[in-house]
Amino acid sequence: MWRDAALVVGKDLRIEARSRVGLSQVAPFGIVALALFAFALGPDRAIMAKGAPGLFWVAVLFCTVLAVQRSVSVESADGARDGLRLSGIDPAGLFLGKSAAVAVQLVVLEALLTVGVVVLYGARIEVPWLIVVSCALGTVGLAATGTLYGALSSGLRVRETLLPFLLLPIVAPVLLAGTRIFQAAMAGGTPSDGTQWLRLLVVFDAVYVAVGVLLFGPILETA
Amino acid sequence: MRYVVAGYVVILTVLFLYAVQLLWRRRRLSRAVARVTSGPPAGSAAGATSGGQP
Amino acid sequence: MTDLAPAAGASAHPTDAPVTNTGVTPPPVQSARARTTERVIGVLALAGTAVTVWLGMWVTPPDKDQGDLVRLVYVHPGVAWVALYLAFGMAAVSSVLYLWPRTRSLFWDRLAAACVEVGVVFNVCTLVSGAIWGKPTWGVWWAWDARLTLTAVLLVLFLGYLALRRVPAEPEVRARRSAFVALFAVLDVPLVHFSVNWWNTLHQGATVLNPGLTLKIHGSMAWTLLLGFVAMTLAFVWMLLVRYRIGLLEDWLDANELDAALAERQSEGIGSPAGADPGADAPTGAARPDATPDGTPVEPAGVV
Repeated sequence: MWRDAALVVGKDLRIEARSRVGLSQVAPFGIVALALFAFALGPDRAIMAKGAPGLFWVAVLFCTVLAVQRSVSVESADGARDGLRLSGIDPAGLFLGKSAAVAVQLVVLEALLTVGVVVLYGARIEVPWLIVVSCALGTVGLAATGTLYGALSSGLRVRETLLPFLLLPIVAPVLLAGTRIFQAAMAGGTPSDGTQWLRLLVVFDAVYVAVGVLLFGPILETA
Repeated sequence: MRYVVAGYVVILTVLFLYAVQLLWRRRRLSRAVARVTSGPPAGSAAGATSGGQP
Repeated sequence: MTDLAPAAGASAHPTDAPVTNTGVTPPPVQSARARTTERVIGVLALAGTAVTVWLGMWVTPPDKDQGDLVRLVYVHPGVAWVALYLAFGMAAVSSVLYLWPRTRSLFWDRLAAACVEVGVVFNVCTLVSGAIWGKPTWGVWWAWDARLTLTAVLLVLFLGYLALRRVPAEPEVRARRSAFVALFAVLDVPLVHFSVNWWNTLHQGATVLNPGLTLKIHGSMAWTLLLGFVAMTLAFVWMLLVRYRIGLLEDWLDANELDAALAERQSEGIGSPAGADPGADAPTGAARPDATPDGTPVEPAGVV
């Protein structure tokens, strides 16, 4: 399973490296989202700094949807999906591999967006390790659920509209937790508030990664 | 008190309308099934007007 | 609902071509007992609801603290319990039963779909009645308190389920997809529950919401509350039965109407004197293939 996962991660990341869609489209979209939020909330930096945690995570959610759509569409060309199944790849490995690839892209995006939030909104980070850990845990959850729903909706023509509608309510706990942790980690927050939310993220991740590993095989058969 | 009345009216109306819609759907579908089963050539091909619900 | 038997009479076909209900399997029949049960439950639900309304609106006294607003308590928890626990809970269990290989049967899938659709309707009732109760009580139509938020998230999750079901697919594929979505949604519920609870408690000082109902219910109020639960549950069961039947009929039509229409088309092409059906306009596109299955173009009806 791990070997298959490594193979799939490598494949997806190599595709990404060659096509640079993440870099040239998703990342700029994230920055544009931050700019849109700034326009929406007005030039008062105090408000933007206060809202920065939430806005960051909303931007991350939007980027997740794009990244997952891309991850799914990579397989739908040239019958790649059938090829994958015929190749005898362990479905659990496929799940882990694709999730990991999405996660890697998301982490890079989050680093970029964190810088964006600090620069554009004047957010001040006091407890960096909380930021890093929450991003890591949140990313795992987002990538896992994204891959699951991507597989469920792959091959559907309405996938573009359906996937966000299905995915985003499910990851509401990640949004809530991430926002709270960021608030705790920024100026004016109490770091100890963040720890219970970290536990929630761990549980969320555990649940959906386990579900993916166990059920990805049957899920693929629905495509 | 008018809130109470509004609340009752809303709930009852929604449930009632949904119930009526269910009954209407079922009737329309059973008619379609009847048309299809009474079969060619006596039945009409308008059986295709039924749900065929995606 | 009449009992539908396969049309034996279709064999009265003028030609020798074996073109009667080819490929049309017998439609699902509803037994008389099922029909009676459904009627009885429906009548009971209607009566229960009427009595609840009568008791709730007029007979019971206003509450000491809440005044007349307590009257909404007779229906709101009833619809809430039905939607959140009964309907969605059953949908979750049915979905798992469908996914479990030993109990796999489209019955569970249809049941889940029916539960979700009816559950969504009750969910909307819950949110609306809750808002109507909340406005005079809290002063706002909506508040992001834990219970309301969870109810709203549930609504969105299961609307997603319904949206996914509308995508055309083979019954087994659709059933599987829907079951997974239901399963994932249900797994999410405790996570969302804890999230919004913690999310809320951090700000409890800022709001003046009373998260629970601190009512002492006694006497006629207690009976009315109980009756409200019972009446809503009966209404749910009745709606479920009808909605399940609808799903059954829809699936049967999906599977069979094309075959029946093809069979009829073939019979027309062979030149049956029955000719054009009385009153049938051009059937919908799906029922009019451009050629019979063996490829010969079909002449318009009446031309031999």
